Amino acid sequence: MNNYKALGLIETFGIVFVLEAADAMCKAADVDLIGFENVASGYISVLVRGDVGACKAAVESGIRAVKEMGSEVYSSLVIPSPHHDIEKIISRYSLETLNP
Amino acid sequence: MRYHGEEALGLIETIGMVPAVEAADKMLKASNVEIVAYENIGSTLVTVMIKGDVAAVKAAVEAGATAASTIGKLTAQHVMPRPIENIGHIVSIYDIDNK
Repeated sequence: MNNYKALGLIETFGIVFVLEAADAMCKAADVDLIGFENVASGYISVLVRGDVGACKAAVESGIRAVKEMGSEVYSSLVIPSPHHDIEKIISRYSLETLNP
Repeated sequence: MRYHGEEALGLIETIGMVPAVEAADKMLKASNVEIVAYENIGSTLVTVMIKGDVAAVKAAVEAGATAASTIGKLTAQHVMPRPIENIGHIVSIYDIDNK
């Protein structure tokens, strides 16, 4: 996996909204869904990776999709060039790790 | 990364993982520190622990706390300049390289 790709994250409430957000993100721009995390107490996050512009567009679409369903996005983030060691965190949430 | 308490320890705890990832990224970029542990503690709390020189850790935690509270909720930030060795053993339970 390329370490220099940007990272986009969205955190919202419950699996229903997260799946919708993930779907909207991947349909909106050329990003790969790399991971997922059930943080606890209904906080769930999804992570996508791609170009900076693609990640920004994806995160915006994800936020819009969740809001259109009537829920709230707790936080969202685009890291244009993640530090190399962030990979250690990201790899924990990758779908390959979660779903071997 | 195994931590034995011989360096300063910096801690940041946020609600949700997105602010925690942002804090981790900003801390690593702000000064010469290394990430020791990252853990989803439960009840939405996520903690990031870093190590390095006292000054480097202080600067990193400051930068991380600011970044985390900009995009989400920060619940705790702390710098332990010279923790006892057993603190290292507790921190190493959550060792980032261990999973």
